[in-house]
Amino acid sequence: MTTASRSDSRRGDPARPDNRLLRLRVNGTVHSVAAPPHAILLDVLRDVLGLVGTKRGCDMGTCGCCNVLIDGRAVMSCLVLAHDAQGKDIQTIEGLAFDGPDMHPLSKAWAECGGSQCGFCTPGFIVTCHELLANEAAPSRTRIAEAISGNVCRCTGYKKILDAVELAAARIREAEPASAPAKSGGSK
Amino acid sequence: MILPPFELHQPTTVDEAIELATQLRKDGVAFDWMAGGTDVLPNYKNRLNARDHVIALGRVDELTSIGKNSIGALARIEDVARNSRVQSDWPTIAKAASLISSPPLRNLGTVGGNLLLDTRCYYFNQSEFWRDSKGYCLKADGDVCLVVPQKETCYATYSGDLAPILLVLDVELEFRGSNGARRVPLRSFFEYDGIRRFEKAPDELLVRVFVPSTDKALRTDYLKLRARDTIEYPVMGVAMGLRTKGGTVADLRVAVTGSEAVPLYYGDLGLGGATVDEATADAVQAALLDRITCYRNVPFPPGYRKAMGGEFGRKLFLDLSGKA
Repeated sequence: MTTASRSDSRRGDPARPDNRLLRLRVNGTVHSVAAPPHAILLDVLRDVLGLVGTKRGCDMGTCGCCNVLIDGRAVMSCLVLAHDAQGKDIQTIEGLAFDGPDMHPLSKAWAECGGSQCGFCTPGFIVTCHELLANEAAPSRTRIAEAISGNVCRCTGYKKILDAVELAAARIREAEPASAPAKSGGSK
Repeated sequence: MILPPFELHQPTTVDEAIELATQLRKDGVAFDWMAGGTDVLPNYKNRLNARDHVIALGRVDELTSIGKNSIGALARIEDVARNSRVQSDWPTIAKAASLISSPPLRNLGTVGGNLLLDTRCYYFNQSEFWRDSKGYCLKADGDVCLVVPQKETCYATYSGDLAPILLVLDVELEFRGSNGARRVPLRSFFEYDGIRRFEKAPDELLVRVFVPSTDKALRTDYLKLRARDTIEYPVMGVAMGLRTKGGTVADLRVAVTGSEAVPLYYGDLGLGGATVDEATADAVQAALLDRITCYRNVPFPPGYRKAMGGEFGRKLFLDLSGKA
């Protein structure tokens, strides 16, 4: 399947007959890209914008490897049409400070706790947990498990992932006690 | 997996959506409505009955609200599960919503999409390659059902989680179309066939689900069987509403999903007025075992799913009557 996708070499080419221009706001930057009406957001992110941190796993909405934030909510980008994502705020793993001196507490905790082994599922998990920690300052372990129940990891056994999210949540609470959400387990 | 090419329409209002659909219908063009896309797009990727036109409803904001007596068809499932009004007024709708698939899919999926979910079958929800090797089925590209071999009826399994509790609460669906609006009780909406599924014109759009006010003493719950505690569709689900008076059954309502081609409402199973005790719980179980039929087309053997339907009915009756 991925071979077929790669061979679709004119994706992003404005001269391809069925391509339409669209504007996507990704990680704070507006990109004008060309894609056919049936283009999937995941393909545009990876193949046109080169944002390959978002992974193609099952491609059928089961594994969570392709999760991105759209208007702050984690969704599977393999099930979102690129043209339907116009006008929305898209954040991928690249926009969530996953590396460098400003590394996000989630990514840092992931590295420290061994939340990644092969690492393929990690971007999807971190995106999902961004949504969780943006809404709940102190989620219980059960609540974290529920929040990541749409993400599949075949290496870690999930325990170290739960450890990482708990550690990140604690560090975020310590660092920003005033601005952290007041309630835990609250509604959106 | 690449989607098959289609023309995409993105209306921003219900009126515009109806106008588009009416025009496409007049032109004799086949199209699909797409709400969250979590059911349509995997099917399209598998080349299952993909159409040349898709009307995406993601920009129609007017149908996302949750009101005092109704839920917009485009309300996101996660929003319904976490809405405080839904949690207090219709706790079992919130519970059933919270059991649907996984959080990122609930962020995309909608109430209308779950209610009108396409039926599922081991011989249908497969890649084109798989189906080509096995032989196509009645529901897509073939002319014989591979579950119950005949050419008339599709036996794919209805797999929505919201329908049973909505049947118990006796909701009405409001549709808008070129001929205006109409309301249909959910209990008379479905038609027994995994392909046709219900009576709805192609250019009619489900806009709202109206929940009637019910006696506060009616207690409700929903139990779901699935292969994992997340992601999976129900392969058996039972919703029950129970009100007792003076130690007898005053109001009993039972509905089942994940068994046949449509969700089924079984009413009071002939147990109205029965004494609330273990014997009646056994009778609920026996009545469900009499009525439930399952086919070998989704995970778990039919006999096990049916047995679990009976168990769920018994447990729900005991829990809701306080006899557990």
